Amino acid sequence: MQRANLYHDKRAQWGVYFVFFGVLAIIPLLMDDPFTMNQYARYGVFGMLALSVSLVWGFGGILSLGQGIAFGMAAYGMGATMQMQYQDPVNDPIPSFMLTNELEALPTVWEPFWDTHLGLILAFGIPVLFFVVFGLLMFQARLAGAFVAIMTLAMLGAWYNMAYDMQPFTAGFNGISPPSAFEAFGVEVDPYSNMIYWVSLGVLAFLTISIKALLQTKFGTIVQAIRDDPERARYLGYNVAYYQTVLFALGGLVAAFAGVVWVMISQYVSPTSLDIFFSITMVIWAAVGGRMSLFGAIFGAMFIKAAESYVGDEFQATWFVILGVVFIVVVRFLPKGFAGLFEYAVGFVPYWRRNG
Amino acid sequence: MAVILELDNVTKAYDQYKVVDDFSFAVNQGELRCLLGPNGAGKTTTMDLITGRQKATSGTIKFDGRDITGLREDKIAKRGVGRKFQVPAVFKDLTVSDNLRVAFSRQTDPFVNMVRMGRKEGQDRLDEVLELVGLQDRLGELGGNLSHGETQWLEIGMVLTQNPKLLLMDEPTAGMTEQETQKTSEIFNRLKGERSLVVVEHDMAFVREIADVITLMHLGQTLAEGPMEEVENDPRVKEVYLGSEGITDAA
Amino acid sequence: MSVHDFWTPFALEPFINALLIGLSIASIWLVAALGLTIIYGTMGVINMAHGEFIMLGAYSAWVMQYFIGIPWLLTLPLSFVIVAFFGWLVERGLIRHLYDRPLDTLLATWGVSLVLIQSIRLIFGGEPQYIDAPSWLKTVMVIDFIHIPWMRIFIFFLAIALVAVTFAILFKTNWGIQIRAVMQNKEMAASFGINSKKIYGLTFAYGAGLAGISGAMFTGLKTIFPDMGLGYVVEAFLVVVTGGGDLLGSVATAGIMGEMFSVFSYFTNDTFGRFVLFILIVIFLRFRPQGIFSPSMARR
Repeated sequence: MQRANLYHDKRAQWGVYFVFFGVLAIIPLLMDDPFTMNQYARYGVFGMLALSVSLVWGFGGILSLGQGIAFGMAAYGMGATMQMQYQDPVNDPIPSFMLTNELEALPTVWEPFWDTHLGLILAFGIPVLFFVVFGLLMFQARLAGAFVAIMTLAMLGAWYNMAYDMQPFTAGFNGISPPSAFEAFGVEVDPYSNMIYWVSLGVLAFLTISIKALLQTKFGTIVQAIRDDPERARYLGYNVAYYQTVLFALGGLVAAFAGVVWVMISQYVSPTSLDIFFSITMVIWAAVGGRMSLFGAIFGAMFIKAAESYVGDEFQATWFVILGVVFIVVVRFLPKGFAGLFEYAVGFVPYWRRNG
Repeated sequence: MAVILELDNVTKAYDQYKVVDDFSFAVNQGELRCLLGPNGAGKTTTMDLITGRQKATSGTIKFDGRDITGLREDKIAKRGVGRKFQVPAVFKDLTVSDNLRVAFSRQTDPFVNMVRMGRKEGQDRLDEVLELVGLQDRLGELGGNLSHGETQWLEIGMVLTQNPKLLLMDEPTAGMTEQETQKTSEIFNRLKGERSLVVVEHDMAFVREIADVITLMHLGQTLAEGPMEEVENDPRVKEVYLGSEGITDAA
Repeated sequence: MSVHDFWTPFALEPFINALLIGLSIASIWLVAALGLTIIYGTMGVINMAHGEFIMLGAYSAWVMQYFIGIPWLLTLPLSFVIVAFFGWLVERGLIRHLYDRPLDTLLATWGVSLVLIQSIRLIFGGEPQYIDAPSWLKTVMVIDFIHIPWMRIFIFFLAIALVAVTFAILFKTNWGIQIRAVMQNKEMAASFGINSKKIYGLTFAYGAGLAGISGAMFTGLKTIFPDMGLGYVVEAFLVVVTGGGDLLGSVATAGIMGEMFSVFSYFTNDTFGRFVLFILIVIFLRFRPQGIFSPSMARR
């Protein structure tokens, strides 16, 4: 038997997840306010984005400042899907913003979105495909570290400009506002209901549990080994670029889920989803919460956003100054974020385990 | 006797400067070859060329009968070449047991590995290796928290777990105690025969214990090659190591 | 803008105008990236707050003019000094401790950027502010079909002057030699008695000062607002990284980028032009990560 840290006990960790999601699931039953449920549902999306960053950065060692690319692409895909659900092929086939832009017919790229299933496939598929190609491009060239960060940032900037500019296709800076709620399998997902909250929470829980399970497989161990020393992994026979691309694409998939759910909640998508500031903020959530802890990152995102809304409009600037300072302190002194502090504290709890 | 590793007229040049100069080298299966020479002789570069870390300017490298010149590192590794680095390289944020699990790399496809836990596979081999390198009590320790000696052992353990046909060891006893060096020579002597080894070393006593054949490099070329006694007494070698006690002094 | 208006057909005179404007854009990106080139080239530091140093320069110029009444031209060198000093503080307080952690430097400076933007917002509010440039710079130079605002011409020549001064400092002064020595080989420079810590502090300050003066210059072109820096940081980085962290490389890259952007924008529009430019850079960097001029370091 050896003294160990309870923090690393797998069963304890699953227990924490169980309690966390359990408690969150009950919240709607204690409230009766559809508007608040819509607000709370958004936190699920922030959690998903932090999860995406933590997976790729904390566990994969890839700092991506462009998770917003997948988020934005999926959001636009969902926006298009929802918009076309509203449109009627016979009487009203063209979205109003296109008519304002003097389009006479629905652009070809929009055609597939008549079909909800196809639309959803594209909403997920396009960002993932892009991340695979972009990932291969970077990782086969053995780019790493800050270089990758800058490239993802530049790519994000490019897509932001694209969304902003292609007004007839994306409604430019005005954004797309699908007038009706999302409908699937005959069920309407009312953005102001308990249902939207449970959908968001459900997706977050599903993604978190899947990722956590994935990290406990051999794949997860190899990916972390690559993070620590890619060269060593190569000499053991692993195709490092391939692993990195797969992980990067997975991160993109998680961010895509976030984008899809976001538009379900807010019924709105605009170039702000591709905003550089937003993508870097996701990194701040993960860093402060603890990028090497899925739970830490998610909790960090929710906590920071909650504090932000609690602080109110007049104090937004002050809040961001505080956040900025906290972030600097975390980067300088706490590489594992507050989860790391927690890990340290839990280490004092008496706990032994069999060797290994 | 089959040749497991063959370098034919291999040159590595940076502009005009040749680090490895028309170098030819053949290792038989089961042999333990020691690659010696002063710093800058081209030993580490030769290791780099074999493992794919660097690309040869000209010449061919064959492993187990097949051409591996210019192949990617992981492809060469999968063919059965393992390497231990001069500066021990282990996975710092993984535990000792996870380090070894990753080293058990029979299956390298990411998607197949997604549905495996990797806890049970190769357990026998892992237990064997752990006992050999003496890290049974350190399983839960993070790679980055090990002492220098322990890190060396872990890396040796990882290469053993990888179980390659050819092991390339770059100064494996650097920083080791007398006892540890002794243990290493025992392990190497057990390994050869079944596997082949190429060892770069400076510790002459250690080399004496393990080497079947020595290749002495100088300025990117072979200065002398053969069993220890032959090389030691070679007049050209004595000339290069002017005034010293021959290569016995080279450390 | 409708789909039909997307593509502008070629016409000689507006195209030549676009080429000339391209030079102006190049000079703006160059001077914005100049400080970053020094900092990245010497120290390998990725300063995400560089855009905010530009912003600080702009706000310094505005404050000096609006509250103290200093003429615009004089605010330029003063902004240099103010932001240089601020940069020196940042280097001492934060950057110095993160030299062996480039990724963390990137993140920490992003934190600095955030703090700066929001602090300025707190102090001055978020509305755009206007600067009063000297009247002789507010007109447009007209020669035949060529229309170029005098301010752009002024900035162009000032950018060249700053590059020339920087070259002179790097290659003609003692300090410059020390910087270049440290840039090439820190350890070896140390064995010659060069204190790299001191060099880094002054170098970072100089780079920040350059950002400050460019910010002050830009007030002549556009209004200033707290997050104006964000519009420069990505372009500045791309210039530096594509140029290889080398002064000549940055000049060449800025020139090429500026012209390409102007040409793309001529045929399509600003945002699409930027999109194409970014994609091209990403592809270029994938194949030549060391930049334009660095000696070719093939991977193996």
